[in-house]
Amino acid sequence: MTCERALEVQAYADGELDAVSALAVEQHLETCAECRVLYDGIVEMRTALKRDARYYRPAAAFAQRIRSDIAREDIHREDGATRARATFGSRSFWTGAVGGVAATALAASLALFVMLPSAQDQLANDIASAHVRSLLGTHLIDIASSNHHVVKPWFAGRTDFSPPVGDYGEQGFPLVGGRLDYIGGKRSAVLVYRHGAHVVNVFVWKDDGSLSAGAKDVSGYHIVSWKEGGLFFCAVSDMEAGELRDLSGLIQKNASG
Amino acid sequence: MDEQRRRFEQLVLPHLGAAYNLARWLGGRDGEDVAQDAVLRAFRAFDGFRGGDAKAWLLAIVRNCHYTTLGRTRKTVPLPEQGENDIASDAPDPERSAIDADRARKLNQAIASLPDEFRETLVLREMEDMSYREIAEITGAPIGTVMSRLARARALLRERWSAETKEMAP
Repeated sequence: MTCERALEVQAYADGELDAVSALAVEQHLETCAECRVLYDGIVEMRTALKRDARYYRPAAAFAQRIRSDIAREDIHREDGATRARATFGSRSFWTGAVGGVAATALAASLALFVMLPSAQDQLANDIASAHVRSLLGTHLIDIASSNHHVVKPWFAGRTDFSPPVGDYGEQGFPLVGGRLDYIGGKRSAVLVYRHGAHVVNVFVWKDDGSLSAGAKDVSGYHIVSWKEGGLFFCAVSDMEAGELRDLSGLIQKNASG
Repeated sequence: MDEQRRRFEQLVLPHLGAAYNLARWLGGRDGEDVAQDAVLRAFRAFDGFRGGDAKAWLLAIVRNCHYTTLGRTRKTVPLPEQGENDIASDAPDPERSAIDADRARKLNQAIASLPDEFRETLVLREMEDMSYREIAEITGAPIGTVMSRLARARALLRERWSAETKEMAP
């Protein structure tokens, strides 16, 4: 039988608790013998691991190999970048603005500008991979609910911003839930919608000005991104690009209204 | 050398050791190739790195590389090899007795015997000192899952470790 506070005790041992919760666990440890054993066990194991667990260290030759890999790659990349710049004028990386339902309402609040293609391409690839991962794996949603009053507070405390959460079931895009994801080194809130058999992931993070809005297709997935109220949104799905723009329009209307 | 590469060397390369350690604990000897591949991929993807914790970012790439390049072919759990620098600690102590060495070997075998998801969580927490949130980001698992994996990893490790060392407990 495990004490129901076991995970809390472990979090205490891992230094994950704030002062108030830590105090509560300390008090609990005075009275719960089982948790005391658990706590002492974690500390004892940690000491043993620090002393005896193997920490693999690379040989100097390994670090050297990495550095020459990078140097070689760097040279190739500079060549590639020169070529990309030369052809940039004739290629359209992110074609078209957001458009769709609420385009006019948005025009004022959206900043559309051209960005370094490499970072944008990388983002689009990251978003497409995250979308595929969410469909393949078991990690499509952390919080399953069609009720935005449930999903919205769930994000509080998990993100340092508050994404606008709306259910658009009436318009054919029911809210399925939300999760946290990690895109390009950033924590992102993800709203998950369905449209018929299609899943839509809407990634939201704080806009730091490094990315621009636009639309792009990556391996058969449509990606539409926009900015609103200091947040950056990126919706991805395999459904029709027009439908995706409809959903993005609904979200924007909800956020601004 | 361009600015990008300088930034990469400053922000990411200091965590080469952590990348190597994780790759080895995940993939055994093959981990060395995985670590090399992962760092190169990290460099290629560095444009997409927009701040945040570079160590967690790199370790996430190492982990992805491990599961994409090795996950399909490798079926066995890596065991720490004998010989090669031998046991764990930073400063090998020449006075270390045979019993100490044996105890360390058993602990490392117990770690190696853990299922992948428990072993990686334990390595990230206890060796790399990553927070729950960072582990969640690296492994793509919710924090609740990280916590239960960690609890399970510790319980299993304790079980296997004490089974091994019972006869030599003080």
